[in-house]
Parts: sequence; C-alpha cells; structure tokens
Amino acid sequence: MSRGIRINEWLLMYVLSVVVALGVSSVVVEATGGDWWPVLEALVEGSLLAPGRWGETLGVAVPLVLVALGTVISSKAGLVNIGQEGQLLMGAAFAVYFGFLLGGPGVINLVVVMMAGALGGAVWASVAGLLRFWRGVPEVLSTLLLVVVASQAVGYGLKQQWLLLEPGADRGNRNQVSQQLASGNRVPRLDFFGNQFPVTVFVAVVLALLVAFMLARTVWGMRLRMLGHNHMAAHRVGVSATSYGLAALGVGGAFAGLAGAAMFAGGGFSFGNYQLGPGFADNIGWTGLLVALVARERVLVVPAVAFVFAGLRTGAGFVNSTGVESRITEVVQALLVLALLLPPAVVFLRTRRQARSVALLKA
Amino acid sequence: MNFVSAAGDVFSSESTYINCMLFAGLLGFAATGEWVAERSGTLNISVEAMLLNGAFAGAVGYHLFDWVGVAMCFGALGGWFIAFLQAQMSHRLTADQFVVGLTLNILVLGLTGFLDREIQPKAAFAARLEIPLLAELPWVGQALFGAPWPFYLLYGLVPLAWWLVFRTRWGLELRAAGENPQSADVSGVEVNLRRRQGIYFAGIASGLGGAYFLVTRLADFDSSAIGGRGFIAIAAVVFGGWTLWGTMAGCVLFAGALSFQLSLQGLGYEFNTELLQALPFLVTIGAMAVFARRVRAPVALAQPFIRGLK
Amino acid sequence: MRGAGSHDSEVPVVELCGITKRFGDITACEQVDLTLHRGRIHGILGENGAGKSTLMKGLIGLVLPDAGLIRVNGQICAIHDPLIAAELGIAMVHQHFSLVEHLTVWENVALGESGRLNSTEVRRSIEEIVDLYGLEVDYDAQVGELSVGLRQRVEIIKCLCRDPDVLVLDEPTSVLTPDESAELFSTLREVVAEKGSAVGLVSHKLDEVLSVTDEITVMRDGRVVASMLTEQVEAGHLAKAMVGREVALSSLSQGSEEPESFKRVFKQQASPLRVGVAGVVDTPVLQLEGVTGRGRGQAMPLNNLSLELYAGEIVGVAGVAGSGQRTLADLLSSLVSLDAGRVLVNGTEVLAGKPGAMAKAGVAVISEDRHDSGVVLEMSVAENLFMATPHRVARCGVINQAQAHRIAREMINEFSISCSGPEAPMWSLSGGSRQRVVLARELAASPDVLVAAQPTGGLDVGAIEYIIECFQQAVTTGMAVLWISSDLEEILSLSQRMLVMAEGRIVGEMSKAEASLEALSELMDGGSQR
Repeated sequence: MSRGIRINEWLLMYVLSVVVALGVSSVVVEATGGDWWPVLEALVEGSLLAPGRWGETLGVAVPLVLVALGTVISSKAGLVNIGQEGQLLMGAAFAVYFGFLLGGPGVINLVVVMMAGALGGAVWASVAGLLRFWRGVPEVLSTLLLVVVASQAVGYGLKQQWLLLEPGADRGNRNQVSQQLASGNRVPRLDFFGNQFPVTVFVAVVLALLVAFMLARTVWGMRLRMLGHNHMAAHRVGVSATSYGLAALGVGGAFAGLAGAAMFAGGGFSFGNYQLGPGFADNIGWTGLLVALVARERVLVVPAVAFVFAGLRTGAGFVNSTGVESRITEVVQALLVLALLLPPAVVFLRTRRQARSVALLKA
Repeated sequence: MNFVSAAGDVFSSESTYINCMLFAGLLGFAATGEWVAERSGTLNISVEAMLLNGAFAGAVGYHLFDWVGVAMCFGALGGWFIAFLQAQMSHRLTADQFVVGLTLNILVLGLTGFLDREIQPKAAFAARLEIPLLAELPWVGQALFGAPWPFYLLYGLVPLAWWLVFRTRWGLELRAAGENPQSADVSGVEVNLRRRQGIYFAGIASGLGGAYFLVTRLADFDSSAIGGRGFIAIAAVVFGGWTLWGTMAGCVLFAGALSFQLSLQGLGYEFNTELLQALPFLVTIGAMAVFARRVRAPVALAQPFIRGLK
Repeated sequence: MRGAGSHDSEVPVVELCGITKRFGDITACEQVDLTLHRGRIHGILGENGAGKSTLMKGLIGLVLPDAGLIRVNGQICAIHDPLIAAELGIAMVHQHFSLVEHLTVWENVALGESGRLNSTEVRRSIEEIVDLYGLEVDYDAQVGELSVGLRQRVEIIKCLCRDPDVLVLDEPTSVLTPDESAELFSTLREVVAEKGSAVGLVSHKLDEVLSVTDEITVMRDGRVVASMLTEQVEAGHLAKAMVGREVALSSLSQGSEEPESFKRVFKQQASPLRVGVAGVVDTPVLQLEGVTGRGRGQAMPLNNLSLELYAGEIVGVAGVAGSGQRTLADLLSSLVSLDAGRVLVNGTEVLAGKPGAMAKAGVAVISEDRHDSGVVLEMSVAENLFMATPHRVARCGVINQAQAHRIAREMINEFSISCSGPEAPMWSLSGGSRQRVVLARELAASPDVLVAAQPTGGLDVGAIEYIIECFQQAVTTGMAVLWISSDLEEILSLSQRMLVMAEGRIVGEMSKAEASLEALSELMDGGSQR
C-alpha cells in the first residue's frame, strides 16, 4: 500500500537498493582479492556492448519471461510454486520425446515440440497440484522435491535410446545427449545489426500481454485473483479452490515447460545447441522464478526484469576473463532480489513507525 | 529377486545403520531447528541455505584453526548468519518468508560456490568416539554410539529443543505465536521477536548440521553437497506432525532412503542410480501424501503477523 | 455533568484526557475524557460503533491514539504496547478473547506473565482465584475444548491472576446467556469489594449497565454525550443520550419511506409470481432438515438443526455467540459441509459446502465478518460488486470494462457507497461503505433468501438504519430474510417470527405476539443448560 509516498521517493529507494546490492557484491569480490570494476565492465560488455551480445541476451530472456509468467499465474491464485526448474526440464524432455517421435515437416514439428513442452511442464506441476488438493501436501515442498525427481528422471531418460538418448550412439564413450533438432525444425532466428535472436522473443512479448489481459480483464483472471486474495469469499461465490488451484498450477507449469521447449528448439548456443543433455536446465527455472519475485506479480514488468537477469547470465561469460570466478553473477542476482524486497518493506515500516512516534510525542 | 536379496543383505549389515545415522545426523540437526521455527509459525525454507552456509563456514573454520571443534562453532555461526538475514527480512521488514527463504537459498548456493573456488578451504574428518558397552550393541551399536563425535551433539540438542519449547516461558510464548499470534499479542507476547528467535535457533541447529556433514562425510567442501536435503528436513517435520519425536522418526526414515544407495554400493550391488538418487525424494513425497492430512499443523504456520491487520 | 464529585480528593487510577483516534476518514474517538476510580464499576455505554472498544484498546496499548493523553495514578504514561499496560496494572477481558485454543488453561493464564515458568505455581494461583470467586475450571483442559462461557471464565481468571488495579471488560455478556451474565456480574462485584480494583465495563446493553455500575459514561459517534452517577440516572434519558433520539429500534420497524434504490433494484427484478406476496405460501423458500455438521475452526457445530423460512417474512434467529449461529451462516454461505441432514431452497436440495452452490440456488448472505468471506480488500469496488455475478458485465469470459464501470457507478449512487469511484480499492472504504457494497452485490443477484449474520456489527447508527430499511423493503418484494443476531432487542423489533438457537440447534420458536425479552432469555438459558 503506497499511501502518502511520492513516486520519486520510491525511485530513490529502488536506486539505493540496487546500489547496496552492487556494493555488497563488490565487497565480496574485493575481499577475495579480485577487482570489482573490471567485473562490472565485463558484465556490461558481455550482455550489451560487445558485437552480437544484446541479441544473445534477448534470446536468454525468452525462457526467463515464460517461466516468470507462469509463476505469476500460480502465485495470483495464492499458490507457492517454486519448482519451475523441474517443470522446465520435464517440458524440454517432453518436447524432445514427442518432437522426434511424431516428426513432421518444419513448422508443424516446431508446434508439436512447443505443445509437448507445455504439456510436460503442466503434467509435472499437476503432480504437485494433485498432491496439494487431494492429499494436503504443501505445494511449497512438493514442487521443490519434484525438481530433484525431474532431473533424475530426465537423467534416466538420457540413458535409454527408446526415450531420449540419441539413437545409434556409442554409449560408453560419449556424453549422454539427445538427438540434435534438424536445422529446418528450429525456431527461426532474426538478424539485427549483427545481433541474432530467435523469433520466440516476439512470442514471449505477446504472451506477456496476453497474460496481463487474462488476469486483469477476464472473468477467469478475476476469479483467480479472488481465490488468491480471499479464498473464503471466492468459495462462497463459486470459485472452487481445487479446480482453479489445479488450473493455476497446471498453467504455471505449462509456461515453464514451454520455456524448456523454447530453449531446446530456439536457444542456440546459449542452451545445449538444440540438444537435450545433462545440466540442460542450467538454473533458468530458478532465475525465472527470481524474475517473477522481483517483478512482484506485475506482468508487464516481467520482460524488463528478465532482460536484466538475462544480461547477468550472458555477461557472466565475459567475467571469467577478468580472473574472477563467474559464479559471482549468481551472487549479484540474489543480492539484487533481496535488495529489491527492501523498499516496500521500508515504506510499510516507516508509516507504522510514524504513527507510533506521533503517539509517543503526544504523551 | 536380486533386489530382495540385496535388500536383505542391506538390512542385516551394520554399515547400513552407520550410513543411515550419518544422514540422520544431518537431517536431525536441521529438522530439530526447523521444528522450533515451525512451532513459532515460520515455514523456514532457508534451512537449505543454513545447512550449506554452516558447512562452508565450518570448512573455513577448520581451514583457519585446524580443529573440528572450531569448525562446528563456525558452522553454527554461519547458520545463524543466514537465520539473521531471514528473520530480519521476513519478521521485521515483513517481506514474504518464502521469497526471502528461496532467495537466500540461491544466494548461498552462488556465494559458497564462488568463495569455495576463490578460497578453497580444506577440512578433515572428525574422530570417531566409541561409547563403551553401548557401542557393542548388535547392528545399531556402532551407528548410534560409535559415531564421529559431533554426532553426539544431537543427543543434547534434541532434548534441549524439547525442553525449551515445552518447559520454558520462552517456549510457551513461541508456541502461542505459532498457534494464535493475535491472542498472543494481546496477552503481551512479542510475536515477531519470538518468531525471529525461533529462526535463530533453526539457524544455529542447521549450521551445526552443515558443519557436522562437512566433518563426517565431505571433508572437502562442495557447494552441491547439500543438494536439497534441507527440504527433506522440512518434510520430516511435516511427516512428524509437528511433534519432535515424530520429526526424529521422519529423519531416520528419510535418512534410510538417502543412505540406501551408499549402503548398496558398499555391499557391491549396482542398481539404477537415477532411481536411487530420486528415492529419498520420492519416499518423502509419498510419506507426506499419506500423513499430511492426518496431522495438525500450527494454526498460524506461514502466516505473517502484523498487529492490527487480520 | 462530571460525575464522581465525592472522589475529587482521591487521585483516580486512570484518567483519559482528550483521546482522539481516526481510522482513515472515520473518527472512532473524538476528544474523549474518562476517569476510572478505585472500588467502582464504571459503565461505558454506547451503540455499536460508538467508539467504546477503540477507547479501551487505547488504554491497553492495542491502539495508538492520534491525540490526547493517559494518566495512570496521576502519572502521564505512553501506553503503546500491551506489555506496558500490564506493568501498569491494567488488564482487559477481550470481546474476542485473548486465548490460544491449542494451549491448556494454565498455559493460557501463564501467557504474558514474566519470570520462570512454573506450572505448579500457576496452577496454585488459579486455584486461589477459583476458591475466592467460585469460578470452577479444569486448568489442564485445552481451551479449544471448552464452551464459550467457560472460555470467558478462563479469560477473567487470566486477568485476575495478575491482580490488576484496573480491569476492563469489553462487551463481556455478548457470549453469555442471561444466567451466566448474572453470575459474571456478581463475581465482578466481589472482585471490586475484595481488591478495590477499578472496573471499566464496556457495553451496549442499557439494563446491565444500569444494574451493575456505579457511574456511567455514554458515548455516541465517538464522543462522550453524557456522564453521571448511576443512582441519579433515569433509564429513558440514558437511552435517548445513547441513540440520539427518542426511541431506538421500534421506530424503524414501522417501515418508513421507501428508499429510491429499492424501487429500482427490486421492483424491476421481482418475478411476477412473487409481486405482492407478503404472507405465507405453501413451500418454504428455505428449509433445513436435521442438519448436522462441524463448524469452521473452533466454531460450534450444528446439531440436528431444522428450520423453515417462507417467502416474505423476516425470521430472527437469536442466540449468544458460540451457539452455532456462525456455523449456520457458514452453511448458508457454502463454507461448511454436512454430516447429516439436507438443505432445500425452493424445494430443491442444495449440496452443502460445494463452492457457490448456495449463492447459485438463490441464497444471499451478508456475512458476520465482512473481511472473512464478504469482500476482497485487495480488489476494486467494481470487482467486489460483480464477483458473484460476473456474467452481468462480461461477454465470452471477457469483462467489458466500460459497462462494468457504468453499472458499478449506478450501484454506488443507489446505495450511497462513499468511495472515489469503481476502481477504488476496497481497503480504502470505511466499514459502513464496505457493508453497503456487500448489500448492493447480494441484492443485485435478486435472491430468494437473504441471510444476515450479525449485519450491524461494528457499524454506526446511520449504516444500521439503512440496512434495516433495506431488509424491510426486501420482504415486501417477496424475499425471505433470516436475521441471525445475538442482539435480542434488534431481533425483537424486526422479526415476525423468532427462533432461539443454542448448542447448535433450534431450541424454541415464538411469534411476534408472544415474544418478549424475558421469554427469549429464558429459552436461551434453558437451551444451553440442556
């Protein structure tokens, strides 16, 4: 609740928190004998300025946006889905399996891959949903635990030729990876001034607009929000927590799965090079979740935040050359999230404290 | 058939129980702390971060002073530090406790990974300590009474937690904060202070757990070493129906699943590794599916308390 | 008019001077002065929403006044926390209790004290209180398993164990039967005699304030309107001061002029069949047959409850809090399901507990706690107005924003909801306006049955009057109203038929002709003792 706080005060606080987050990161780097400025330069260089990099960053932002959109949908219904990493991986696995099983020419195959991805994510999230509404297992825990199960299941699939493993591969002496997607079946890439990015960028933007519209302007979205804010009132007017909750989790999972499929079919060198292999999800699920947290359920803010976080990833590749371990970008990322939680909390506390100090002064 | 005979071998082997207790120690420290935090009304998912940071701080402590005792102390401090962040963010600044917990988990994963490569702290295994006579018991003797010495801290920690929660005024206020914060507040209990303290306890206990794992199983720190086992500790609390003894039973059960792979390998069996890796998580989910509805959670679990806001 | 002239020489225990408290644009207390003396019971009388509870919450540190000061034993004190109030010797028996259901009685008594926790000592001090005042209670029982009357006893023991100088009771009899109330007041008298404590008794019940207090302060709309010694009081004068005009609710029951809104809302929508129906028709619109089922949380379960409601009548359901009224309202809000029995609306069975089933069948509910199931504070006024019937403003699942705003504006005007517009967030509205939103929404669905569960709780007189008018208009169009309340006078003046509820079932019924306050009280006592 923003009563009595001016816009520029908000802005100032957000800027301050970002500065604090970067400051703490710099302390971490300096304390371990590194230099902070080259790291920062490398981050900017690697995410934006170097040739072809902003296109790369755009491409990485796509799955982040998709995951975050799904997260927003499930949290609007009051559910805490934090297993996107697993749902994304399952989506990718489904995409690979059905993509190669059903085949089909170019675009049709691509649609199949995407649909299968969404299905995979939805199925995996629905497991948690069923456990929640049928057996009362808190979804916070089940979604988390299912991440590990998903990665083991996909790991198993990658050892079986009838599932995901590339057929005819000589098993013993090579990485366990899936077949590579044929070049005609991949997501087309656009080229702007030497910056290449997949057309899924536009899909992600359209989906973001669509989700924003769904939540704000449709009966379904209104009832979903009602459920999240006051499940009792929702129940009374006919919103079933079970069916809406299952749907919200399922759709949320579908978005994560779609992200997995998009990484597989359109990620290029950023993600597995059109192949599914070990470590494919590569924390995109977790990062997408952070994007949603930072955007604080505001759908239209999601793409911007996703771009920043994608930048931290693509910039990380350049950080290694400065002699500082590139995992520092994970630290920066998490610190940013923590810092951005502060302004609303500070405002809240300040209004309360003002009330109290007024009362104390009077006495 | 193969599986049945293997299982038979596993259950009759002393090393199985030793392995099981090794993991039960890890889960036990974390779950005891988590139990206290949950009784106060916090579903503290940063327990994973507390474990990992405890293990890392323990490694740093050992690296600096070359002594397991210091490693344990550093571990407790490391866990407490995460607890401090969690408590201040969620129960003073009123940020969402899941958001804070999740972010801390990711932060610590990145931070310890980064610092590990930069510092590369080295630790070593703790010495075993055999308790005369008791260690001679068949099957479980070595597991329970011939363990590395930090394991025995658990024998003090668990009764301490029980005593604090059920026999002290602090514990009474803590439980009231978890059951009905509005009433507790009206009665003059500082709800959010008690909740923060509950989280601190969880941090110290989990930090000890992380350090314990370091000096009994890892020796060389690795940021992927905890790998979601903190969440299993949370599940053990749910499984135990928010009773301490049930929680401990959950720890032993889940530790059995965690150590099954280790025990099988030790006896020379080879099974589907993915299934074995996923097994503890599947068992945990299955156990919760069976028990989650039958138990009563603290009424205000995971609900923030702000005075005047109902 | 300042009372207690004979006590001027003595320093009062508590002095509240010029206390003012506002919540948003609502003034709960405006320049209130109040003095409590040792060994005297001071009644604070006023209607719902007069600001009595807010004032007392200020005294024990749960509410921070915007202005004014508090003197305790002549010293100025800043009481911004219940702990400080406790240190100053001020204890309060809360309207909604301060007990933790899952702790035992002795643990609850010990809660909020300081020092080492010693269960034997706590038990001993409980026993002392029990012996002194004859308040029997099992100190090892879980509070959640006790009846409401016993819980209040625990609450009082909890206060007395602290040996307070000042004891404040906030509407203590709202959960008690008349017999239990009498018992409570005799205990209170003993406490004052034994310990010489000062007691503040907050109540809206004229007769009880007259019978037990030594002095009285009357509040209305957040201000003190009268202050006097009880022995000098004349009852009629007091009632007038409290309500602000000659007679309270009886004037409303004569049904004044039809408000404009009703001509629009009801006259258009009443089906031809029901127009003009004002009496009894053959099939009941609402019929409960032996319903049995658990309530939500700690609420009293329903125990083989049966009732019938016919079109065009207002039926009052009287009972003390904890008699199962809340569960009855919850049942009709689809919030609880049944173990046995069935619910029929217009002769068709409705599945209890199924989301939205009751609303769909034509049962509208003005709920007891608006924030619980009535409104969604985080959503806009327009969304709150349409949440039950979104199809009115949507096509193919897409909400037509322009249409929604237009209709919402009409409803805002018709029901005089004060807000900045259809997009205003619900939390920015006052309690009365929120209740009007609920009313507007529920009536817009043109229901057959309107259930009102303590609809006047926490509202100012104007809002209450408006709601009562609404209901009386509603029945003339053939709607049936079930008025569930613990306020007997309200029920007596409004309903044509009265049911008395206790222990989760209906224990008696009487018509308007044979009903009286005494008869109703007797039934309530009898019901809870059975």
